[in-house]
Amino acid sequence: MKNKLKKLNDFEWLLPKGARKEMRVDAKIIANDLVLEALENDAIAQLTNVACLPGVINPVIGLPDMHYGYGLPMGAVSAFDAQDGIISAGLCGFDINCGINSIVTTLTADEVQSKLKELIPALFSAVPCGVGSKGKLRLNDDQLNEVLTRGVNWAVENGYGVKEDISRIEENGCMEGADPSKVSDMAKKRGKPQLGTLGAGNHFLEIQKISDVLDKPTAKQWGIDKKDQVLIMLHCGSRGFGHQVATDYLKQQEKAAQKYKIWLPDRQLVCAPASSQEGKDFFAAMKCAVNYSFTNRLVMTQWIRETFEKVFGKSWQDMGMNTLYGLCHNVVKLEEHVINKEKRKVFVHRKGATRSFPGDVVLVAGSMGTASYIAKGLEGSLEKSFGSACHGAGRVMSRASAIRSFRGTDVRDELAHRGIIAKSTSPKVLAEESPDAYKDIEAVMDSIEGAQISKKVVRVVPMGVAKG
Amino acid sequence: MEKYKFLDEITSDVMFEAYGKNLKEVFDNAATALFTIICHDVHGKNVIDVNVTGEDISDLMFNWLQELIARVDIEEMFFSKFEILEISETQLKAKIYGEPVSPEKGETVVKSLTYHQYKFEKTEKGFMTRVSCDI
Repeated sequence: MKNKLKKLNDFEWLLPKGARKEMRVDAKIIANDLVLEALENDAIAQLTNVACLPGVINPVIGLPDMHYGYGLPMGAVSAFDAQDGIISAGLCGFDINCGINSIVTTLTADEVQSKLKELIPALFSAVPCGVGSKGKLRLNDDQLNEVLTRGVNWAVENGYGVKEDISRIEENGCMEGADPSKVSDMAKKRGKPQLGTLGAGNHFLEIQKISDVLDKPTAKQWGIDKKDQVLIMLHCGSRGFGHQVATDYLKQQEKAAQKYKIWLPDRQLVCAPASSQEGKDFFAAMKCAVNYSFTNRLVMTQWIRETFEKVFGKSWQDMGMNTLYGLCHNVVKLEEHVINKEKRKVFVHRKGATRSFPGDVVLVAGSMGTASYIAKGLEGSLEKSFGSACHGAGRVMSRASAIRSFRGTDVRDELAHRGIIAKSTSPKVLAEESPDAYKDIEAVMDSIEGAQISKKVVRVVPMGVAKG
Repeated sequence: MEKYKFLDEITSDVMFEAYGKNLKEVFDNAATALFTIICHDVHGKNVIDVNVTGEDISDLMFNWLQELIARVDIEEMFFSKFEILEISETQLKAKIYGEPVSPEKGETVVKSLTYHQYKFEKTEKGFMTRVSCDI
């Protein structure tokens, strides 16, 4: 499939719809030569799956961090007509609103470095990490329903975060129209004990320092303009609650696809007509998971602040620990986009992708041990990628190969050699998440900036990381 | 007969095949494979009764594994032993044995099974299922 790509410019490649007879629209990949070289042929083929679905809007987008997934690549964006298109649990992914919060500080790297050996274990115990750790909150039914419908507003009212955090989170930390009656009892049972937990796998809490300020005016405006200034990045999702919602609707939408006679190029890409009851139910349930996840990250943000207070002996306000921004990776949004010079309402499915509307803060997580970027959304994203940018570096090696190729303890030692402290519940997760298992973040960011989707504002490098 | 094997198919996730001479065995082996992803060195001291239904045998396997993933969160337990008491094409009753979760024995979270390349087949030697998990 790679040989069917046509170069549009140094950063954009077109896969014409003729590449496969069932494709309704083209696919487009945002990549420079380096990124393109690393792209798996199978991942490109998976983009064509999405281009076969009803009501899909031209084109389906592959972002530079895209890699082979289940049914579609991670790092893909697709939009569907709000009336004639579909909405898909499969295209959204299982970890609904897996995402990132970035917290700024006024601390310097020197100040943090001297306390790092104390700070990382303290964060590791304050924020439950990993599959075996238990949450500290136990919600009752009413509290859970509040979280699902009111998102971070519940958190702030209950002492987790402050009202200033709310406006610094995508959707103000709460998607309207969430309906808990569309969520199964099983999902609710899974959600009640897990609010305020990080999870495992690629989820992490990272202490970072600014290595380069690349867009000084924007960095100054965002309060992140000092070299060696310390930031915190928190990556996690909607935990068992969101996983169950996605699974429940995966099964329901498989039936819906049969009922509405939708041909599926891959069974995982189940979907329902956006205007059908099944489609509406999924959207209302998905929003519950989105709100759960926004709340999850803000609860943990407050615990991170409290941990810094204990370690540094100052109030979090004195350390300027404000939310820079919080955003979603796996989500479906009803948005208005200009398509063929006409404004249309579309369901944008971002799977392993970040919103990048003009002026948006775009947080791109590198792999463990490598740089991450804070970028700014550009106008070009609206024309080229339905207002979306990449979400990370993107894997080049499967988790299984990474575990075979690296030893977790070696990865930890290598990071320690570079002054980065990594703590995880299991050494295996360090092997899985080895930096060598990922693409080069610099090439990914060069692609996204070169395509005028997002502009780099600051580059940050890790100092310490706690992983599940 | 090999009980299960992991396949190197999905860049971001995990895929395995499980085998069995009969239905009980393939359901047991698939559950065992699943829990090698989630945890290690777990001993089955506490027992929970599980009833699962499905529209057909393939759906039953999917629901069985999905139920076990959910039970980790709900019961806050890791499981290591799976005793299938009764099984038909659409229903099973089982006792699952495990112990309370602990970070020391945790490996990773399995978020869900996926339908990507999912299979349940009758083979010459019995049954086979292919499962990919989102982790």
